[in-house]
Amino acid sequence: MTLAPRALLLVLLGTTAARGAAGQVGQLGQAQILSLVAVGPSVLGVTVTSGAVQSIPSLTDNAVNSFPSPVAVSTNWNLNPGQTASVDLVAYFPVPSQALSGAGTQIPSARVLGRMTTGLPVAYTAITQGPVAGVGTAGGSLRLFTQTINGANKVSSRNDNLDLRLDLTGFPTLPAGTLSGTLTLQAVTQ
Amino acid sequence: MHLITRGMLGGLAMALAGSAAQAQAGLTSSPATVSMTATKASTLSVSPTSATATLASITDNSVANVFTPVTVTTDWNLTAGTSVNLVGWFATPAQALANGTDFIPSSKVEGRVGAAAFAPFNSGATGGVGVASGSLLLFSQGVGAGTYQGNRADQLDVRLNLTGTTTVAGNYTGTLNLQAVVQ
Repeated sequence: MTLAPRALLLVLLGTTAARGAAGQVGQLGQAQILSLVAVGPSVLGVTVTSGAVQSIPSLTDNAVNSFPSPVAVSTNWNLNPGQTASVDLVAYFPVPSQALSGAGTQIPSARVLGRMTTGLPVAYTAITQGPVAGVGTAGGSLRLFTQTINGANKVSSRNDNLDLRLDLTGFPTLPAGTLSGTLTLQAVTQ
Repeated sequence: MHLITRGMLGGLAMALAGSAAQAQAGLTSSPATVSMTATKASTLSVSPTSATATLASITDNSVANVFTPVTVTTDWNLTAGTSVNLVGWFATPAQALANGTDFIPSSKVEGRVGAAAFAPFNSGATGGVGVASGSLLLFSQGVGAGTYQGNRADQLDVRLNLTGTTTVAGNYTGTLNLQAVVQ
Protein backbone atom coordinates (compact mmCIF):
# COMPACT_ATOMS: atom_id res chain seq x y z
CA MET A 1 0.00 0.00 0.00
CA THR A 2 1.51 3.29 -1.06
CA LEU A 3 0.57 6.72 0.15
CA ALA A 4 -0.02 8.01 -3.33
CA PRO A 5 -3.63 6.87 -3.77
CA ARG A 6 -4.65 8.01 -0.35
CA ALA A 7 -6.61 11.22 -0.02
CA LEU A 8 -5.05 13.78 2.27
CA LEU A 9 -7.13 16.38 4.01
CA LEU A 10 -5.53 19.13 6.02
CA VAL A 11 -7.74 21.30 8.15
CA LEU A 12 -5.89 24.46 9.13
CA LEU A 13 -7.14 26.67 11.87
CA GLY A 14 -6.08 30.11 13.21
CA THR A 15 -4.68 31.85 10.14
CA THR A 16 -6.97 34.81 10.64
CA ALA A 17 -5.88 35.19 14.29
CA ALA A 18 -2.15 35.11 13.34
CA ARG A 19 -2.54 38.04 10.96
CA GLY A 20 -4.30 40.14 13.64
CA ALA A 21 -1.51 39.58 16.22
CA ALA A 22 1.38 40.74 13.98
CA GLY A 23 1.45 44.32 15.30
CA GLN A 24 1.42 43.47 19.06
CA VAL A 25 5.09 43.08 20.13
CA GLY A 26 5.62 40.63 23.03
CA GLN A 27 2.05 39.71 23.30
CA LEU A 28 1.30 36.03 23.01
CA GLY A 29 -1.51 34.91 20.86
CA GLN A 30 -3.92 32.24 21.85
CA ALA A 31 -2.73 28.74 21.00
CA GLN A 32 -4.49 27.41 17.96
CA ILE A 33 -5.31 23.89 16.90
CA LEU A 34 -4.11 22.26 13.73
CA SER A 35 -6.18 19.20 12.96
CA LEU A 36 -4.86 16.75 10.41
CA VAL A 37 -7.14 14.12 8.97
CA ALA A 38 -5.81 11.66 6.38
CA VAL A 39 -8.41 9.42 4.82
CA GLY A 40 -7.14 6.20 3.29
CA PRO A 41 -9.66 4.40 1.10
CA SER A 42 -10.35 0.78 1.92
CA VAL A 43 -9.22 -1.81 -0.56
CA LEU A 44 -10.88 -5.13 -1.36
CA GLY A 45 -10.02 -7.11 -4.44
CA VAL A 46 -10.55 -10.56 -5.94
CA THR A 47 -8.44 -11.95 -8.75
CA VAL A 48 -8.61 -15.27 -10.51
CA THR A 49 -4.96 -16.09 -10.99
CA SER A 50 -5.56 -19.28 -12.97
CA GLY A 51 -8.44 -21.45 -14.07
CA ALA A 52 -10.65 -18.60 -15.19
CA VAL A 53 -11.81 -20.80 -18.05
CA GLN A 54 -13.17 -24.14 -16.95
CA SER A 55 -14.11 -26.83 -19.44
CA ILE A 56 -15.39 -30.38 -19.44
CA PRO A 57 -14.79 -31.77 -22.91
CA SER A 58 -17.13 -34.74 -22.61
CA LEU A 59 -20.02 -34.88 -20.15
CA THR A 60 -21.33 -38.16 -18.82
CA ASP A 61 -25.02 -38.37 -18.05
CA ASN A 62 -26.23 -39.56 -14.66
CA ALA A 63 -22.79 -39.11 -13.12
CA VAL A 64 -20.59 -36.60 -11.36
CA ASN A 65 -18.47 -34.62 -13.82
CA SER A 66 -15.54 -32.74 -12.35
CA PHE A 67 -13.87 -29.80 -13.98
CA PRO A 68 -10.28 -30.92 -14.43
CA SER A 69 -8.41 -28.05 -12.78
CA PRO A 70 -9.16 -25.76 -9.85
CA VAL A 71 -9.87 -22.04 -9.97
CA ALA A 72 -7.04 -20.26 -8.16
CA VAL A 73 -8.43 -17.20 -6.38
CA SER A 74 -6.44 -14.43 -4.72
CA THR A 75 -8.27 -12.09 -2.34
CA ASN A 76 -6.54 -8.97 -1.03
CA TRP A 77 -7.66 -6.25 1.34
CA ASN A 78 -6.59 -3.14 3.25
CA LEU A 79 -9.22 -2.47 5.90
CA ASN A 80 -9.84 -0.77 9.21
CA PRO A 81 -10.23 -3.58 11.75
CA GLY A 82 -12.23 -1.28 13.99
CA GLN A 83 -14.91 -1.05 11.39
CA THR A 84 -14.63 -4.39 9.62
CA ALA A 85 -15.28 -7.71 11.27
CA SER A 86 -14.69 -10.01 8.32
CA VAL A 87 -14.16 -10.49 4.63
CA ASP A 88 -16.40 -12.99 2.87
CA LEU A 89 -15.84 -14.46 -0.56
CA VAL A 90 -19.01 -15.42 -2.41
CA ALA A 91 -19.49 -17.36 -5.63
CA TYR A 92 -22.79 -16.98 -7.42
CA PHE A 93 -24.68 -17.41 -10.65
CA PRO A 94 -26.78 -14.45 -11.79
CA VAL A 95 -29.63 -16.76 -12.85
CA PRO A 96 -29.56 -19.87 -10.64
CA SER A 97 -32.01 -21.85 -12.77
CA GLN A 98 -29.73 -21.42 -15.76
CA ALA A 99 -26.25 -21.73 -14.36
CA LEU A 100 -25.17 -23.33 -17.60
CA SER A 101 -27.26 -23.25 -20.72
CA GLY A 102 -27.05 -24.33 -24.32
CA ALA A 103 -28.10 -27.13 -26.64
CA GLY A 104 -31.67 -26.24 -25.83
CA THR A 105 -31.41 -26.99 -22.14
CA GLN A 106 -30.18 -25.62 -18.82
CA ILE A 107 -28.28 -26.93 -15.83
CA PRO A 108 -29.35 -25.20 -12.59
CA SER A 109 -26.92 -24.05 -9.95
CA ALA A 110 -28.22 -26.84 -7.71
CA ARG A 111 -26.29 -29.18 -10.01
CA VAL A 112 -23.09 -27.15 -9.80
CA LEU A 113 -21.02 -28.01 -6.76
CA GLY A 114 -18.05 -26.18 -5.37
CA ARG A 115 -15.58 -26.72 -2.62
CA MET A 116 -12.76 -24.73 -1.11
CA THR A 117 -10.71 -26.95 1.14
CA THR A 118 -9.10 -23.88 2.69
CA GLY A 119 -12.46 -22.22 3.18
CA LEU A 120 -15.97 -23.06 4.34
CA PRO A 121 -17.31 -25.65 1.92
CA VAL A 122 -14.52 -28.16 2.46
CA ALA A 123 -16.75 -30.80 0.87
CA TYR A 124 -18.50 -30.30 -2.44
CA THR A 125 -21.58 -28.18 -1.85
CA ALA A 126 -24.32 -27.11 -4.21
CA ILE A 127 -24.34 -23.45 -5.16
CA THR A 128 -27.81 -22.91 -3.75
CA GLN A 129 -27.27 -20.58 -0.83
CA GLY A 130 -28.49 -17.02 -0.45
CA PRO A 131 -26.57 -13.76 -0.74
CA VAL A 132 -23.98 -12.71 1.83
CA ALA A 133 -24.29 -9.07 2.89
CA GLY A 134 -26.09 -8.34 -0.32
CA VAL A 135 -23.62 -10.13 -2.57
CA GLY A 136 -24.98 -13.06 -4.56
CA THR A 137 -28.36 -14.29 -5.64
CA ALA A 138 -31.06 -16.15 -3.78
CA GLY A 139 -30.65 -19.87 -4.30
CA GLY A 140 -27.62 -19.39 -6.49
CA SER A 141 -24.77 -18.52 -4.16
CA LEU A 142 -22.08 -20.22 -2.11
CA ARG A 143 -20.04 -18.60 0.65
CA LEU A 144 -16.49 -19.76 0.06
CA PHE A 145 -14.74 -18.33 3.09
CA THR A 146 -15.10 -15.92 5.97
CA GLN A 147 -11.87 -14.24 7.01
CA THR A 148 -11.87 -12.49 10.37
CA ILE A 149 -10.18 -9.09 10.23
CA ASN A 150 -8.07 -7.81 13.10
CA GLY A 151 -5.05 -5.62 13.64
CA ALA A 152 -2.68 -8.34 12.59
CA ASN A 153 -4.19 -8.92 9.17
CA LYS A 154 -5.84 -5.62 8.33
CA VAL A 155 -3.61 -5.41 5.29
CA SER A 156 -3.27 -8.85 3.85
CA SER A 157 -4.32 -11.37 1.22
CA ARG A 158 -5.03 -15.05 0.85
CA ASN A 159 -4.93 -17.57 -1.93
CA ASP A 160 -7.45 -20.36 -2.30
CA ASN A 161 -8.40 -23.01 -4.80
CA LEU A 162 -11.99 -23.50 -5.84
CA ASP A 163 -12.90 -26.92 -7.21
CA LEU A 164 -16.01 -27.24 -9.34
CA ARG A 165 -18.06 -30.15 -10.58
CA LEU A 166 -21.42 -30.93 -12.15
CA ASP A 167 -23.57 -33.52 -10.48
CA LEU A 168 -25.80 -34.99 -13.15
CA THR A 169 -26.88 -37.94 -11.04
CA GLY A 170 -30.55 -38.46 -11.75
CA PHE A 171 -30.58 -35.51 -14.11
CA PRO A 172 -32.37 -35.97 -17.44
CA THR A 173 -30.17 -37.08 -20.29
CA LEU A 174 -28.56 -34.03 -21.80
CA PRO A 175 -28.87 -33.36 -25.48
CA ALA A 176 -25.59 -33.36 -27.35
CA GLY A 177 -23.98 -29.99 -27.57
CA THR A 178 -22.19 -27.38 -25.48
CA LEU A 179 -23.48 -25.64 -22.38
CA SER A 180 -21.82 -22.59 -20.94
CA GLY A 181 -22.20 -20.23 -18.02
CA THR A 182 -20.41 -17.69 -15.86
CA LEU A 183 -19.68 -18.03 -12.19
CA THR A 184 -19.09 -14.71 -10.43
CA LEU A 185 -16.70 -14.36 -7.50
CA GLN A 186 -17.02 -11.33 -5.29
CA ALA A 187 -15.76 -10.36 -1.85
CA VAL A 188 -17.66 -8.30 0.68
CA THR A 189 -16.84 -6.91 4.11
CA GLN A 190 -19.09 -7.15 7.12
CA MET B 1 -15.65 33.29 16.63
CA HIS B 2 -12.68 31.01 17.20
CA LEU B 3 -14.69 28.54 19.15
CA ILE B 4 -17.37 28.41 16.50
CA THR B 5 -14.83 27.93 13.69
CA ARG B 6 -12.93 25.34 15.67
CA GLY B 7 -16.07 23.43 16.45
CA MET B 8 -17.29 23.44 12.87
CA LEU B 9 -13.97 22.28 11.50
CA GLY B 10 -13.57 19.67 14.18
CA GLY B 11 -17.01 18.37 13.37
CA LEU B 12 -16.15 18.32 9.69
CA ALA B 13 -13.02 16.33 10.40
CA MET B 14 -14.94 13.84 12.51
CA ALA B 15 -17.62 13.52 9.86
CA LEU B 16 -15.07 12.79 7.17
CA ALA B 17 -13.29 10.25 9.30
CA GLY B 18 -16.60 8.68 10.22
CA SER B 19 -17.75 8.33 6.64
CA ALA B 20 -14.52 6.61 5.70
CA ALA B 21 -14.92 4.08 8.47
CA GLN B 22 -18.56 3.39 7.74
CA ALA B 23 -17.73 2.60 4.14
CA GLN B 24 -15.74 -0.43 5.21
CA ALA B 25 -18.80 -2.46 6.23
CA GLY B 26 -20.48 -3.73 3.08
CA LEU B 27 -17.52 -2.84 0.94
CA THR B 28 -17.51 -5.07 -2.13
CA SER B 29 -14.78 -5.99 -4.53
CA SER B 30 -15.13 -5.82 -8.24
CA PRO B 31 -16.53 -9.13 -9.46
CA ALA B 32 -14.20 -11.72 -10.95
CA THR B 33 -15.63 -14.30 -13.29
CA VAL B 34 -15.06 -17.93 -14.16
CA SER B 35 -16.21 -19.07 -17.57
CA MET B 36 -17.61 -22.59 -17.47
CA THR B 37 -18.16 -24.79 -20.50
CA ALA B 38 -19.33 -28.39 -20.62
CA THR B 39 -19.82 -30.40 -23.76
CA LYS B 40 -22.02 -33.40 -24.25
CA ALA B 41 -20.64 -35.45 -27.11
CA SER B 42 -22.90 -36.84 -29.79
CA THR B 43 -23.78 -40.49 -29.32
CA LEU B 44 -25.13 -43.24 -31.53
CA SER B 45 -25.51 -46.80 -30.38
CA VAL B 46 -27.09 -50.11 -31.36
CA SER B 47 -28.01 -52.70 -28.78
CA PRO B 48 -29.48 -56.09 -29.65
CA THR B 49 -31.39 -57.87 -26.90
CA SER B 50 -29.58 -61.06 -27.76
CA ALA B 51 -26.22 -61.65 -29.32
CA THR B 52 -27.35 -64.92 -30.81
CA ALA B 53 -30.04 -65.87 -33.29
CA THR B 54 -30.59 -69.54 -34.00
CA LEU B 55 -32.23 -71.72 -36.60
CA ALA B 56 -32.75 -75.22 -35.24
CA SER B 57 -33.16 -77.07 -38.52
CA ILE B 58 -32.43 -75.93 -42.06
CA THR B 59 -34.90 -76.78 -44.77
CA ASP B 60 -33.35 -76.94 -48.21
CA ASN B 61 -35.01 -75.33 -51.21
CA SER B 62 -37.19 -73.21 -48.97
CA VAL B 63 -37.54 -69.79 -47.41
CA ALA B 64 -38.93 -71.32 -44.24
CA ASN B 65 -35.63 -70.89 -42.46
CA VAL B 66 -36.24 -68.05 -40.03
CA PHE B 67 -33.87 -67.40 -37.17
CA THR B 68 -35.16 -66.47 -33.75
CA PRO B 69 -35.99 -62.76 -33.81
CA VAL B 70 -33.80 -60.19 -32.15
CA THR B 71 -34.93 -56.83 -30.89
CA VAL B 72 -32.50 -54.09 -31.78
CA THR B 73 -32.56 -50.76 -29.96
CA THR B 74 -30.97 -47.81 -31.72
CA ASP B 75 -30.24 -44.76 -29.59
CA TRP B 76 -29.02 -41.39 -30.80
CA ASN B 77 -28.18 -37.98 -29.37
CA LEU B 78 -27.02 -35.72 -32.16
CA THR B 79 -26.31 -32.14 -33.04
CA ALA B 80 -26.51 -32.48 -36.80
CA GLY B 81 -27.53 -34.81 -39.61
CA THR B 82 -30.72 -35.64 -41.45
CA SER B 83 -31.09 -39.36 -40.88
CA VAL B 84 -30.09 -42.27 -38.69
CA ASN B 85 -29.50 -45.43 -40.67
CA LEU B 86 -29.19 -48.99 -39.43
CA VAL B 87 -27.10 -51.27 -41.59
CA GLY B 88 -26.65 -55.04 -41.35
CA TRP B 89 -23.62 -56.48 -43.07
CA PHE B 90 -21.44 -59.53 -43.41
CA ALA B 91 -17.70 -58.99 -43.48
CA THR B 92 -17.21 -61.58 -46.24
CA PRO B 93 -20.36 -61.70 -48.35
CA ALA B 94 -19.40 -64.93 -50.09
CA GLN B 95 -19.11 -66.68 -46.74
CA ALA B 96 -21.91 -65.23 -44.65
CA LEU B 97 -22.38 -68.57 -42.89
CA ALA B 98 -19.89 -71.42 -42.96
CA ASN B 99 -20.04 -75.10 -42.28
CA GLY B 100 -16.43 -76.10 -42.69
CA THR B 101 -15.74 -75.40 -46.32
CA ASP B 102 -19.36 -75.13 -47.28
CA PHE B 103 -20.71 -71.58 -47.33
CA ILE B 104 -23.97 -69.74 -47.60
CA PRO B 105 -23.43 -66.37 -49.26
CA SER B 106 -25.05 -63.19 -47.97
CA SER B 107 -27.24 -63.06 -51.04
CA LYS B 108 -29.14 -66.03 -49.58
CA VAL B 109 -29.50 -64.40 -46.19
CA GLU B 110 -32.43 -62.03 -45.94
CA GLY B 111 -33.48 -59.58 -43.28
CA ARG B 112 -36.24 -57.17 -42.37
CA VAL B 113 -37.33 -54.92 -39.54
CA GLY B 114 -40.94 -54.62 -38.60
CA ALA B 115 -43.41 -55.35 -41.36
CA ALA B 116 -40.98 -54.68 -44.18
CA ALA B 117 -40.44 -57.32 -46.82
CA PHE B 118 -37.43 -59.59 -46.53
CA ALA B 119 -34.50 -58.43 -48.60
CA PRO B 120 -31.10 -60.04 -49.17
CA PHE B 121 -27.86 -58.74 -47.67
CA ASN B 122 -26.37 -57.97 -51.05
CA SER B 123 -26.41 -54.19 -51.17
CA GLY B 124 -23.55 -51.79 -50.85
CA ALA B 125 -22.41 -49.73 -47.89
CA THR B 126 -24.45 -46.83 -46.49
CA GLY B 127 -22.55 -43.79 -45.36
CA GLY B 128 -19.36 -45.82 -45.36
CA VAL B 129 -20.87 -48.54 -43.20
CA GLY B 130 -21.02 -52.06 -44.61
CA VAL B 131 -19.33 -53.90 -47.43
CA ALA B 132 -20.04 -54.09 -51.11
CA SER B 133 -22.63 -56.75 -51.96
CA GLY B 134 -22.87 -57.82 -48.35
CA SER B 135 -25.02 -55.18 -46.73
CA LEU B 136 -28.67 -54.31 -46.13
CA LEU B 137 -30.08 -50.99 -45.05
CA LEU B 138 -32.57 -52.00 -42.38
CA PHE B 139 -34.07 -48.58 -41.72
CA SER B 140 -33.50 -44.91 -42.35
CA GLN B 141 -34.97 -42.64 -39.69
CA GLY B 142 -35.22 -38.94 -40.48
CA VAL B 143 -33.93 -36.61 -37.74
CA GLY B 144 -33.78 -32.87 -37.24
CA ALA B 145 -34.34 -30.18 -34.66
CA GLY B 146 -36.52 -31.70 -31.98
CA THR B 147 -35.64 -35.25 -32.91
CA TYR B 148 -31.88 -35.12 -32.55
CA GLN B 149 -32.31 -37.05 -29.34
CA GLY B 150 -34.25 -40.29 -29.64
CA ASN B 151 -34.33 -44.03 -29.89
CA ARG B 152 -36.26 -46.80 -31.49
CA ALA B 153 -36.62 -50.54 -30.98
CA ASP B 154 -37.11 -52.85 -33.92
CA GLN B 155 -37.57 -56.52 -34.28
CA LEU B 156 -35.02 -57.89 -36.69
CA ASP B 157 -35.98 -61.03 -38.54
CA VAL B 158 -33.36 -62.93 -40.46
CA ARG B 159 -33.94 -65.93 -42.68
CA LEU B 160 -32.13 -68.11 -45.19
CA ASN B 161 -33.61 -68.17 -48.65
CA LEU B 162 -32.46 -71.57 -49.82
CA THR B 163 -34.74 -71.77 -52.79
CA GLY B 164 -32.81 -73.83 -55.33
CA THR B 165 -30.11 -74.60 -52.80
CA THR B 166 -29.09 -77.82 -51.05
CA THR B 167 -26.94 -77.57 -47.97
CA VAL B 168 -24.52 -79.95 -46.32
CA ALA B 169 -25.53 -81.41 -42.97
CA GLY B 170 -23.93 -79.69 -40.06
CA ASN B 171 -23.88 -76.37 -38.25
CA TYR B 172 -23.61 -73.19 -40.26
CA THR B 173 -22.39 -70.24 -38.27
CA GLY B 174 -21.72 -66.64 -39.14
CA THR B 175 -21.67 -63.12 -37.81
CA LEU B 176 -24.03 -60.39 -38.86
CA ASN B 177 -22.82 -56.91 -37.99
CA LEU B 178 -25.33 -54.26 -37.03
CA GLN B 179 -24.15 -50.67 -37.20
CA ALA B 180 -25.86 -47.31 -37.29
CA VAL B 181 -24.64 -44.26 -39.15
CA VAL B 182 -25.83 -40.67 -39.37
CA GLN B 183 -26.13 -38.99 -42.70
